[in-house]
Amino acid sequence: MRSVVVACLIVLGAAASAAAQYAQPAAPTPKPAGAILIASFNIQVFGESKMAKAQVVDVLARVVRQFDIVAVQEVRAKSDEIVPAFVRAINADGSRYHYVIGPRQGRTVSKEQYTFIYDTTRIEVDPSSVGVVPDPQNKLHRPPMHARFRTKITPAEMAFTFWLVDIHTDPDEVPQELDALTGVFQAMQAARPDEDDVILLGDLNAGPPQFKSFQRIPGVAWAVSGVTTNTRRTKTYDNLVFTRPATSEYLGGWGVLDLQSTFGLSLDQALEVSDHNPVWGAFYPAEVRGAGMPPMAGAAAPVRR
Amino acid sequence: MPDIAALTAALAADVPATRAEAAETLCRAGTDAVAAAVPLVKACGDADDQVREWAVAALEELGPPPAAAISELTALAGGAHQLVAYWATTLLGRSGKAAAAATPTLAKSLESAGDPAVAERAAWALGKIGPAAAAAKPALERSAAASSPRLSRLAQEALTAIGG
Repeated sequence: MRSVVVACLIVLGAAASAAAQYAQPAAPTPKPAGAILIASFNIQVFGESKMAKAQVVDVLARVVRQFDIVAVQEVRAKSDEIVPAFVRAINADGSRYHYVIGPRQGRTVSKEQYTFIYDTTRIEVDPSSVGVVPDPQNKLHRPPMHARFRTKITPAEMAFTFWLVDIHTDPDEVPQELDALTGVFQAMQAARPDEDDVILLGDLNAGPPQFKSFQRIPGVAWAVSGVTTNTRRTKTYDNLVFTRPATSEYLGGWGVLDLQSTFGLSLDQALEVSDHNPVWGAFYPAEVRGAGMPPMAGAAAPVRR
Repeated sequence: MPDIAALTAALAADVPATRAEAAETLCRAGTDAVAAAVPLVKACGDADDQVREWAVAALEELGPPPAAAISELTALAGGAHQLVAYWATTLLGRSGKAAAAATPTLAKSLESAGDPAVAERAAWALGKIGPAAAAAKPALERSAAASSPRLSRLAQEALTAIGG
């Protein structure tokens, strides 16, 4: 299994080198055979003005093509055409991505949507699983969007299936929202008796030192630690949260795709793309049954690109 | 560092695209745009939705406003425009006890704001002001008994923060 992980990280490195070249790739970005890459990306104010900037859309598309699924936060537009147009831009190189999108949410007239954009050649979604987490006590400014996915690069009976729960917390009520998300996570764990894998990911506006409420979840773990995730490289806001041993498919590989260094951008150019860098984790594409067979002993070194 | 004064002036331009570009550039300035706190709050009332969205995004990352802005923010918090009032109230809350003078306005918002989100944020802001917002306790006690679970919870939390 370790060789699979090494191969995965080698391919990731190749992809990073390819992305660093600014020329348009002639073919879809190759992805590792032994892993799926799940990312979270807050694309700040993703609306008409951002989509009108070709160079920004180009970088955003290159980001998405490196991953199998990207959980996006901050679609902010009156138009329903933003994400479809973006997916067309992603697929302009022959890629075959699709998306599911949630409703507009927010307590004011300024609303946001979540969307999952995924590579249909490697991932499929259960359409009946797409929805928004109920929040009857109104604890969350933008209740998370959930969807259940399955890998397509292993036989169906072995495929890794998992919930993704996409969240963007309110920066002014972070402790309260993290506490509420602990309950959300546990509710998702109990949502289906045949699904033990829950990955909560997004812009938490908080880093691991603030994850005290998550400690109420037995076996909780998170991918990103000890590095910054915002574009200014000052804060750790974005993460993927799951439990072990339940999600023993986690390979230990994770990273922050640094927009500046990956695409050769100045800070101001990178901030035109977003004030957040994408974060990602690598997962084995087949279900790993039983607590005694983790796919990898220990965690791999994080990859900062 | 961008010219914050020039960008602030551009928020009042006639052309919506100019205003949106100014709001976006102020957003990219992060906390360096704090001197534009009041104009950004006013921009939340812009007729153009991209101006509003970039102003909101800028305010999300702005941090607490300058002390000199408290008086004007207090006036905006009591205004009729929901998004303007919401963000003025949010910045007052971020100011903590420095915004104590806003207590009467925020207490009034608890019960007379035309929008639940503004009333809820007023409860949150009073909690952030803390003991200096003691004059709002009667209004908070009434709000704590409200049927809205969120307003009730935030009012209770504010009463705890105010203490006494």
